[in-house]
Amino acid sequence: MTTAAPPLIRQRVETSAARASQVWKVYGTGEAQVVALRGVDVELERGRFTAIMGPSGSGKSTLMHCLAGLDSVSRGQVFVGDTEVTGLNDAGLTRLRREKIGFIFQQFNLLPTLTAQENILLPLAIAGRKPDQEWFRTVIDTVGLGDRLGHRPNQLSGGQQQRVACARALVSRPEVVFADEPTGNLDSRSGAEVLGFLRRSVTEYGQTIVMVTHDAVAASYADRVIFLADGQIVAELTGPTPERVLDTLKSLDRPAQLGTEL
Amino acid sequence: MIKASLRGLLQRKLRLSLAVFAIVLSVAFLSGSLVLSDTLNARFTALFSTINQNVSVVVQAKDPQAVEPARLTDAQLRALSEVDGVKAFSPDVSAQGVIPFRGTDGEPVSADAALGFGVDGKDDPLGLVELREGRWPTAEGEVAITAHTAELAKVKRGDQLKVYLPVLNEPRSFTVVGVAGYSGGRDSLAGEVVVMFQQAFAQQTFYGATGLYGGASFAAEDGVSDDVLKQRIVEQLPDGFKALTGQESSEEQSAQVGVLFDVFKYILIGFAVVAGVVGVFLIFNTFNIIVAQRTRELALLRALGAGWGQVAGSVLLEALIVSLVGATVGLAAGIGVAAAGEAAITSEVALPSAGLVVAPLTVILAYLLGVVVTLVAAFVPAVRASSVPPVAAMRDVVRPDKSLTALSIVGAVFALPGIGLVLLGAFADLGGTAFLVLLGGAVLVFIGALLLSPLLARPIVRGLGALIGRGSAGNLGVRNAARNPRRTAVTAAAIIIGVTVIGMTATVVQSFKTSLEDIMGENIGVEVMIQASVTAAPDGRQGFNPKALEQVRAIPGVKEAAAWHFDALGVSVAGQPQAFGIFATDVGQAARMFPIDATDGTIRTLAAQELVLDDNIAETLKLKAGDRTPVAIGGVTRDYTVVGVYQATPIIQGILVGEAAVADFPGPLAFQGFVSLNDGVDAAPVVERIETIMKDYPGVQVGDRQSYVDQATASYDFLLIAVQILLLVALVIALLGILNTLVLSIVERTRELGLVRAVGLSRSGLVWMVTVESVLITVFGVLLGLALGVGLGAAFTKALMTLEFATVIAIPWLELGQYLLAAVVAGVLAAVIPARMAARLNVLDAISYE
Repeated sequence: MTTAAPPLIRQRVETSAARASQVWKVYGTGEAQVVALRGVDVELERGRFTAIMGPSGSGKSTLMHCLAGLDSVSRGQVFVGDTEVTGLNDAGLTRLRREKIGFIFQQFNLLPTLTAQENILLPLAIAGRKPDQEWFRTVIDTVGLGDRLGHRPNQLSGGQQQRVACARALVSRPEVVFADEPTGNLDSRSGAEVLGFLRRSVTEYGQTIVMVTHDAVAASYADRVIFLADGQIVAELTGPTPERVLDTLKSLDRPAQLGTEL
Repeated sequence: MIKASLRGLLQRKLRLSLAVFAIVLSVAFLSGSLVLSDTLNARFTALFSTINQNVSVVVQAKDPQAVEPARLTDAQLRALSEVDGVKAFSPDVSAQGVIPFRGTDGEPVSADAALGFGVDGKDDPLGLVELREGRWPTAEGEVAITAHTAELAKVKRGDQLKVYLPVLNEPRSFTVVGVAGYSGGRDSLAGEVVVMFQQAFAQQTFYGATGLYGGASFAAEDGVSDDVLKQRIVEQLPDGFKALTGQESSEEQSAQVGVLFDVFKYILIGFAVVAGVVGVFLIFNTFNIIVAQRTRELALLRALGAGWGQVAGSVLLEALIVSLVGATVGLAAGIGVAAAGEAAITSEVALPSAGLVVAPLTVILAYLLGVVVTLVAAFVPAVRASSVPPVAAMRDVVRPDKSLTALSIVGAVFALPGIGLVLLGAFADLGGTAFLVLLGGAVLVFIGALLLSPLLARPIVRGLGALIGRGSAGNLGVRNAARNPRRTAVTAAAIIIGVTVIGMTATVVQSFKTSLEDIMGENIGVEVMIQASVTAAPDGRQGFNPKALEQVRAIPGVKEAAAWHFDALGVSVAGQPQAFGIFATDVGQAARMFPIDATDGTIRTLAAQELVLDDNIAETLKLKAGDRTPVAIGGVTRDYTVVGVYQATPIIQGILVGEAAVADFPGPLAFQGFVSLNDGVDAAPVVERIETIMKDYPGVQVGDRQSYVDQATASYDFLLIAVQILLLVALVIALLGILNTLVLSIVERTRELGLVRAVGLSRSGLVWMVTVESVLITVFGVLLGLALGVGLGAAFTKALMTLEFATVIAIPWLELGQYLLAAVVAGVLAAVIPARMAARLNVLDAISYE
């Protein structure tokens, strides 16, 4: 007899929430070939907030997309929890998204036809799961949307929309939440609210979050920052501050050093 | 700016091809119907021009349908033939309704009297008819026949041939002595049946005396034009005759035959109208969406300094190019469709070829529909787009809906007076004008409903969605269908139009049938019906000989048999022409067979110069029992006494006179017979025996009560089928319209699709979501159309009830259910391509789609 265990109970020997092993991503062929990722090895620990940074074209978004199963890899393996993402077919990926992954995109996170509450509960509705009322209330209270649940996205500000998106990503308690420049379109105050909320969900509820950003302040909310350049991990910081992040970025801007650092 | 819009054209291949597709489809249906109609018309004209190929002038009776049409005497014919400039002439002795019986089974070769001709057989100086084998008939008992007739009757030279002869009103047997054909090796001109008799016999039989001719055809000498010869002949023309040139005659004849072809033509024109109207919606909707989707792009152009006019101009230029291409391709496709249709039809009916006729009007309408409608469809959203402040348009992906208030008010302005008129027409006793009032009201209601449909779309779609949109994917589909009520309504418009027409027709037909069945079932003492199928209004010259009923009465089990005669042409009562004619029968007997309730006077067997009439006509003519009034039948006017007035019912209504009046009718034949049986007698064997008796009268059908109902409703069934075909056309176009809307919506909502996939919706969930949206749009259209159609149909039936043409309003639930089912299937089909498109989207690409 098998019973579907809630995702959080399924903690096995696996200690990483997501893991990439010798991941290569190559676009195009021949002359037009572009290598986006060159044998990246990375492990994202459970219950931690990891930021991925790097200059434009460094491969940071590609890495996140590959980790989240949104993009296929050319070589190597990707795991989310104990599930190998590489090699999953569409049905498998759909199941993975339902059960283990939450997404927050830079913009256009919400369906215009649904209210805020319906948007938040959409992943559960799609998966045919009942929301945990207590957890739902907790999430709502944390993002501070209590009085706006009946509003539609076009009646919400950009910051409120992103907070709804955060709530949606968290409400199903996924193995890992992937956030792709979640504050890229927000003013600094709204951005700080959203980042503060992500931080709290890691600290207070043990949520795993992976965030791509190019903003040093945003990255400073993370426990750990991974720096990519030219498709490879070139640096890493734990316990970042905006200043340390900026310093590291500056050092990466000097291409001459790239080769020697590795 | 021009360069920008041209480049824009090529970059949006998908949207572009959908727009072109919409235009091509609409224009193709429209032009195809028109070209086919014109082409078939041309074939008929060509048919008669080949008949009149060598004819310069035709002389014929002014009124060939008269009871005693004018005839040419030998002397008159000779005088005409001696007119200066006549090279050759061919006198005409002919009659319609001459039908041979098959040699094999004794059945008539055709039930259609209009296709059976009898002529005198002789060499044709004008070279149309050619003897192929044997000789012309020289004795009374001999005939020649055309090769086509020989084939149909399955006889050859030397065989006996039984032929029904009008005027004599009975069949005779002849020996086939010759087989003829037409110049150019044709067996028939248009599938007609021709029997050629000895001239004197034909004259005696058809005209009652030898030495008489119905007319003549003349060929002119070289150098004498047709018009000149016609002028010379006109000077010599006896009274009651007219002269036409060969060409005029062809036109007149084809116009006459055209009447038979008119039903078909009206169906084709109905196709064209439906295609046109539905096409307007299809094109409008498609372009509307396409331009609306470009709002951001247009706003960018505005932000970069393009003027209002430049933006609108670029949209219009794009629309112009697209529509010119679409209309041209559509016209070509329509001509192709017409060619295929023509080939299919002419494989059944032999008609001379006249080539495809593409009338200027067809081309004008095609481009009007394709280009003008497209430009208007593009212009409205372009103006809307260019009036949005650039920054707002660029930032806002989701634009708030434009309010429906104004549109709905206009809709109500149409609908409310329309409903008033419909109710007035249905319930007020307005007589014949009720239908005009109803029609006007129906059109207003219909326009109003189309304008109100966006307002209705959201609640109806949501209500339906609660039934079928279970599960989150279904729920998303419901919301998508409800999110843009204008788009949903316009997309469904094609279905609303088609279903309204069919719903209305089906309701009226069903009510009519049910009424007839009710009356026939309840209180009619008639078990067997005899019915003549006639080509013209029955006036006693087509039908069966009432003497044949003597044999019917002799059949064991038969209680009574009644003959009904009818005449309408030239009938007047109290100085008022009676288009619905006059019946002659034994009224006392009729009252035993049918429910005829007197409201004034008595209903009994009538003596000469007595009549009864129904209450509606009595009221119109202001007649009551005991009045005397002049009645004209067959050109004879006599004073009749009104014996009684009866209550009109759907089966018995009109003016009834006694059998004595038949002497005044143009012919002695009855066109209906009713037979009652003794209790407990089975109708089936009686029907069989009466069939044997009636076998000699081509086109006379015998059946039981149910077959009478079926026959009485057959023409309505035909109408229903014609309308169902229209519905099919509307549904096909609507299906493509829905496909178009869905594809464009999917392009528009690409990022949403990516998003729902990213949060865990499966491919099949996405397919279901799109299907639900599609089905909801179609079902919305069908429900609105059915509500309108059944409502209007009920109103029309109510008016018919006031005139005693029906007794109940019956709603054809079964048919309605079938239409609904068809709509669901259509909705599912329309969703196939868009749903596949949506399912194939790459999640990452979709999310980052701009």
